[in-house]
Amino acid sequence: MFGDKAFELIKELERCPDSLPAFNDEGVRQVLEEMRVLFEQNQKDVNVSVSGDANYFAGVQLRHTSLERNKRCLLAYLYNRLQYIRQMRWEFGSILPPEIKFNLCEPEVKWFGNYSKYLANYMKTIGDGYGLDLTQDTKPPKSLYIEVRCLVDYGKLELEDGEIVLLKKNSQHLLPRSECEPLIRQGILQHIVH
Amino acid sequence: MMDPAEVEFIAEKQMVEIVPNFNFDRVYLISGEIGPFRAGLPVKVPIWMAINLRQRQKCRILVPDWMDVEKLEQAKEDESASRYFTKMPSEHYMAEAQLILSACGEDVPRADEIRTALKDLWDMRMSKLRSSVDTFIKTGGTHARLDHLTLMEMNSVRPLLPHALDQLHRLSTVRFVFSPLVNSSSCFDMHISILYYCFWC
Amino acid sequence: MDVDLELEDSDNEETITAQSVLAKLEEAWMNEKFSPEILPHRTEIVDCMLEQIHQMEENLNKLKKSDFRVVIHRMELDRIRYIITSYLRSRLEKIELYTSHILEMESKRPVEERYLSPAEYKFAQEHQSHLENHFETVVLRHMPYNIRTLDKATMSVAPNLFSQVFLRANKTVNGVIVETGVEGAEEEVELDGNSQHIIQYKAIAELVKSGSVQLI
Repeated sequence: MFGDKAFELIKELERCPDSLPAFNDEGVRQVLEEMRVLFEQNQKDVNVSVSGDANYFAGVQLRHTSLERNKRCLLAYLYNRLQYIRQMRWEFGSILPPEIKFNLCEPEVKWFGNYSKYLANYMKTIGDGYGLDLTQDTKPPKSLYIEVRCLVDYGKLELEDGEIVLLKKNSQHLLPRSECEPLIRQGILQHIVH
Repeated sequence: MMDPAEVEFIAEKQMVEIVPNFNFDRVYLISGEIGPFRAGLPVKVPIWMAINLRQRQKCRILVPDWMDVEKLEQAKEDESASRYFTKMPSEHYMAEAQLILSACGEDVPRADEIRTALKDLWDMRMSKLRSSVDTFIKTGGTHARLDHLTLMEMNSVRPLLPHALDQLHRLSTVRFVFSPLVNSSSCFDMHISILYYCFWC
Repeated sequence: MDVDLELEDSDNEETITAQSVLAKLEEAWMNEKFSPEILPHRTEIVDCMLEQIHQMEENLNKLKKSDFRVVIHRMELDRIRYIITSYLRSRLEKIELYTSHILEMESKRPVEERYLSPAEYKFAQEHQSHLENHFETVVLRHMPYNIRTLDKATMSVAPNLFSQVFLRANKTVNGVIVETGVEGAEEEVELDGNSQHIIQYKAIAELVKSGSVQLI
């Protein structure tokens, strides 16, 4: 059926909404090839029609709608992939994670580079040239202090305000979030969520 | 459209009374002046600040007057007696109560009863909201007045109600547009008319 | 005349406090969040608030780290920064989603009445041209010549102005006209000061822009 291959591309994206499949070069090429064939057939039939035979109109129209649908699917395929790639800029910054970059086609890598650049340029102008990174502060700020449990005997921790806390295994503390986040990542502290 | 964390964020601006255990002069915040702080004397601060000071053991939070079992029972009675939404003691009663109770629930006498009363009140209002939404949609309403509905309550119907109304509007405005069928002997006309067909992927 | 103007100016200086600018920012943020279309930019508010943040940060650097005020001020700055970034992000999201529609609307407005700030406008233009360029490079130029162009009229997405929004009236507004969807039929609505409503955005779009109502 005309348009099936194009629709297959859309379904491919739909199947894995949380990741980006490899750019389907072959699929895109096949759709473009189908379009070429449809177009050539139409040209032939139109030439016959012009000479007076109206029997070909329906066929021409059917092929043309197929061409349009193929076009629409291809553009939707590209656009939705760009949406995903754009999201990567907001989540990971201007360097694409290698496993994602691996799945992009070369123009997509280029597009990402451009998007990254003009987004950064825009952010630099905010606030009369002071600049503001919009990819930060994406969640409403919560309390600066969080409750943590110490998982190991860590010893003394000096806080920014000079206060010294003794981190012993299984002790619980209320600490400024910014200062315990690195320790949480290292597995020294555990965030207690009520 | 609006994250629950954002509703909470907005509610955190509400003022609440605390009793500090320290002395300090007025603090000039961008959002206004706070203080001065005198140990043992109540002072009004935004909830986000109250919670922080409480976490650092620098104050006690005074529970707002309305967070009281008798007053909430009264509010429940008023709510059930009225066809409309009654005015809540705070524009953010639910978020505010959740914030305060989770920050210092152990300091609040009868905290569990307060929680239950609030939950009842919320449920009553939500069922009122659901039935008015229902009538609204069935009567093909285009507009409704919603005085005293709080932000969190609006937010709970936000993904659904506006969307349902949009769909209704869409259905009521649908026109079947037939593009002229190809009848011209010119293939150019034909191509142009074909180009105007609409497709949905 | 001169004296009048001066008086007015000094009046203004008295009323424009950081606090009132913050309130304006919060209003703009909520409106932008809930409005389906992009609203006129409020760069002056954003710039002014960011300036306040920088001043405050400088002052904080002079305080001792153990000063009681440091944590409180930092928390407030985080809150304001969140509002600013969230506000600008929702604008950028609309700009990216409705790029060609927005640029077309902007082209009908005089430069000084544009809804986008100059920086946003530049972003929109670049976004548009890189998108088109990508489509062109990857597929369009390989297509048959008669469907090779990007048909903006049918392909571009426009905001749904008929979507329903919640609002609070800042003052009484009479005679708001709501289209009911049935052809030609209209309904007239009164918005009393401080009352709350759910209503179709299109009917009150101008009231949002003039500040007579607040989206919530």
